[in-house]
Amino acid sequence: MIALLVAQNTFREVVRDRVLMGLVIGGLVLLAVTRIASPLAMGEGLRLTVDLGLSSISWLGLLVVLTVGTALVSKEIDRRTIFNLLSRPLPRPFYLLGKWLGLTLALATVAAILGAALWLVVTLLGHANYAGSIAEAVLLATLELAVINSLAVMFSALSTPLLSALYTLGFFLGGQWCGDLRRFASHCPAELKIMLESAANVLPNLPLFNMRTLASAGELTSWTHLGLAGAYAALYCACVLSLAAAAFESRDFK
Amino acid sequence: MIARVVPPASPVRDAIRRRMVLAWAAALVFGAGACGLAAHAAATLPAPAPFEELAYYPSGQALQPATLGHAESAADLAWLRAVQYYGEHRQTDLRFTQMRHVFEILGALSPSFESPSIFGAFGLAQEGRDFAAAEQLLLNALERRPRSGRLAFELGFLYFVRPGGRDLRKAAEYFELASRLPGSPASAARFAAASSQNAGDLRMAYQLWSQVRAESPNRYLREIAEREIEKIAQAIATGREEIAVRRMGTPAVILH
Repeated sequence: MIALLVAQNTFREVVRDRVLMGLVIGGLVLLAVTRIASPLAMGEGLRLTVDLGLSSISWLGLLVVLTVGTALVSKEIDRRTIFNLLSRPLPRPFYLLGKWLGLTLALATVAAILGAALWLVVTLLGHANYAGSIAEAVLLATLELAVINSLAVMFSALSTPLLSALYTLGFFLGGQWCGDLRRFASHCPAELKIMLESAANVLPNLPLFNMRTLASAGELTSWTHLGLAGAYAALYCACVLSLAAAAFESRDFK
Repeated sequence: MIARVVPPASPVRDAIRRRMVLAWAAALVFGAGACGLAAHAAATLPAPAPFEELAYYPSGQALQPATLGHAESAADLAWLRAVQYYGEHRQTDLRFTQMRHVFEILGALSPSFESPSIFGAFGLAQEGRDFAAAEQLLLNALERRPRSGRLAFELGFLYFVRPGGRDLRKAAEYFELASRLPGSPASAARFAAASSQNAGDLRMAYQLWSQVRAESPNRYLREIAEREIEKIAQAIATGREEIAVRRMGTPAVILH
């Protein structure tokens, strides 16, 4: 309940900062650009719209995580508003959980709005059957953003906004390549293999949340994939937020 | 004698310590679960595309890891550029030296994006006058998407209209393959039968036309199949191939 109150406030803060509005406008502009560019695509305008529409959700979401998510906690420390909060009977882990939940809800709202706009454009082009694949791709993109957001909140609780953004970006880049890292590890000697596989396990497995290839062809992914991605996102976020809670618990604000 | 000072017990400090231990334990449990799931997903879900060797050999395909999971969008942008490249040279010097490279990159970035391979192959064969490169482009695309009826049909069609001389046997082979795969045009079986017939493979043509007659929902096509079957049967019975085999013209490339 306390975490939900913090989440509500964080969500309100993001709305008040006009971050949501900016994101939605940015996404819609990108969607319009894909339609303007579609005559150049020699009959592949639909594909262009779906691909770039889905990519824009991920990129814009990442941008918000890097700018807002990484400053969520440190901003409150700088403004000293955190003293008012933590002097109340508010356990620190719930405070972090609320911060993460609030921003994740904001990101999910933007993803849903942009996904609906994309579906509307695709439907107007006469392809209403893309609804399922767009919905699945948007869901997976939201899970991906939730995972990156958990890392941003953890770093935000430990470091300055700039360093937090750099660490989060590093994990995002590493996470995109962790599939390659696993394949690379399978060709290496035993010791190096263990090291590389450990690194691949620590990094977020972001390729798991990517079904844009299928969505661009209007195809659906399997329930196994969706289930695995959902469970993985939940476990990874729980792990990262637990680590953040452990570190934040011992932090002295004096 | 040294007296050790024992700090007084602090319930607040103990509570903090307890919560930290709990948080670490939770992180370990959740982390182990996440690692297990990640390994399970890597083992069970289909890999996006094989590109492990690209880490060592720089090529157009090496772009894929650099797209950070947005290979589809990168392929779309490359497609827009490829169309511009084709248009520029189509209207000026008709030199397409980079075309194969550009379309190979597209195919590697997005194997499910079939249009560039088809467009590139016909451009290379017709305007580029490089049939071998065109054939290779479509063969590579088909290797990446072996269940694509559309690619198999287009490869068959590439052989069917090969500039300088049709390759009807190969055309028939790929039309026949396309007719068995999802995504091919309804006319694939008819093209396979006609190509086999005009290549002189009358027994195969007989089988394929029989299949068209039995399976086609189009009455007009069934009537054509019936007529061709009669001609083939007559040709086989009399030993006069010319009854069933038509001499087809040589495809030419006319550029305006």
